[in-house]
Amino acid sequence: MYAKIKLHQKIIIQVVLLALALLWLAPLTVAVVKSLDINGLGNYIAVLQHPKVHLGRVVFNSFFIATTTTLLLVVIVSLAAFAFSKMDFPFKNILYYALLVCLTIPIASVMTPLFVTVRSFGLMNTYFSLILPIAAFQAPFLLLILRNYFDTIPNDLLEAATIDGASSLQVLYHIMIPLGVPALVNIMVLGFVNSWNEYFIPLLFVRKEELYTVTLAATYFTGSKFQTPEMVAQLYATLLIITIPSIVFYLFTQRYMQEGLTAGAVKS
Amino acid sequence: MASTEQVSLAHSHPRTGHKRFKWSRLKPFLFILPVLLLSGLFLYYSIGFTVYISFHKWDGLNPDMTFVGLDNYKRLFADRVIRQALWNHLRYFVLGVGLQTIVGFFMAVLLYARLPFHNVFKAIFFMPVVMAPIIIASIFRILLDANFGTVNEILRFLHLDFLALPWLGDPTNALWSLVMVNVFEWSGLTMVLYYSGMLSIPREIYEAAKIDGANFWQMITRITFPLLNGQTSICIILGIIGSLKTFDIVMQMTGGGPGIATEFLNTYLYKKYVNEFNAGYSAAIGMLILVLSMTLSIIQLKLYDRSRIDR
Repeated sequence: MYAKIKLHQKIIIQVVLLALALLWLAPLTVAVVKSLDINGLGNYIAVLQHPKVHLGRVVFNSFFIATTTTLLLVVIVSLAAFAFSKMDFPFKNILYYALLVCLTIPIASVMTPLFVTVRSFGLMNTYFSLILPIAAFQAPFLLLILRNYFDTIPNDLLEAATIDGASSLQVLYHIMIPLGVPALVNIMVLGFVNSWNEYFIPLLFVRKEELYTVTLAATYFTGSKFQTPEMVAQLYATLLIITIPSIVFYLFTQRYMQEGLTAGAVKS
Repeated sequence: MASTEQVSLAHSHPRTGHKRFKWSRLKPFLFILPVLLLSGLFLYYSIGFTVYISFHKWDGLNPDMTFVGLDNYKRLFADRVIRQALWNHLRYFVLGVGLQTIVGFFMAVLLYARLPFHNVFKAIFFMPVVMAPIIIASIFRILLDANFGTVNEILRFLHLDFLALPWLGDPTNALWSLVMVNVFEWSGLTMVLYYSGMLSIPREIYEAAKIDGANFWQMITRITFPLLNGQTSICIILGIIGSLKTFDIVMQMTGGGPGIATEFLNTYLYKKYVNEFNAGYSAAIGMLILVLSMTLSIIQLKLYDRSRIDR
């Protein structure tokens, strides 16, 4: 398509890309500039000393929830993907598709049962009330990705290992997991990002400020009216403080993120 | 993305006569038990409970529920807010996906020239996909504020006061604002899908077309875009699913307003339960969403299974 590309065409392409990039960076740039209005870095110091919502705690909460959810998901999805991919058992396809048909259910559609269940177990305002539902809603999608990848690992390898007397858990641990690393990285990225960004479940189950996630903190601070430029500056400062961790994380892992987040759309 | 050549052995063997390894009978169930308990039980219990609630009048708190038969569903089909919400979903999806596809494809074509810094540009365009929608919505809510918003400040500075509109306070503008935020957020995903698709198109095809006298524009419209049909249908289905899941951005930017102008099914359902304690009606709306989303899951699975062959 670009067999012999001339210099002026190269310049046009670069200029258009640069213009688009500036447009895409504009919201964050405005946020950074505005967050320094009037008091400069003082705005950041002020919001970090907020009496009710401690931003360090907020970031920690999101990090903790996203990490635990991801670890839980990796373990249970690996086990299930292995069984669905490499074992034969009754009702296999029925069970598999029963899970997958829940792939795209919006959490909001079942909010009443969720709320009633979590409340009746006394789990409101606990990490559990966030980790378990977030993991439950993500598992089918991650299972789809990992199972399809496991399907591409030749059965001969497993047969050789079982003849040598390896147990099924050993096969999973010593063959499937090492060979499945690309897909495992994808589901970890997907699980982490989706858990970090989850808004609806914390909105339902968290009422205490100590348990606020970054998503809840964002609405907490924008909920109040911002009347003065100083308040706008502090609001931007807050949003940036809680966004910076995910941006930094993205900069270091962007290749995996791009692969991971598209892995759900097409087969590897 | 990893090699596309491998074909699963599990599927290539004829089902009959293929000897699997000898696992004990119970073992497979132990492996899938955690997922079944967590997702299966959780999701199906919630779905079943939603069905049950949808036939009742209930405040969602007290134990007493009154059976009302199909009343909630009758109301659902007569409710003009539901019609408005469905219309909003449709517009949000058609405008959003249309623009995302065009913008994402355009970005991918430009990146495909693989000039210096193309990876930097790609990283910038993809970044919003990774950020929390609620945070993006928060930033845009301040940017688009009629009085304090930077967008209107810039327009006034340029003496374009007539363009400094209430972006979120006017019914038409509000929906367009939501669509634009959606495009900003998700074009990067479309771009990466198209870009990785383009890399898998053999260069010989373009060379042959060049010999036949095709120009750049013809190559894009007659070769690249048609060959990436699979990607386009994936973008469309992901767009419909995304539209059906829409909650965060709407809640944060317009709250469904002004009036019911940007009400969506999820926001309406949420308000019915949380503000009006109408769990029964809320569940009936939930049923509508569930039926739509499960149908979409099936379509997505079909497309997903085909994507391996397409590429």
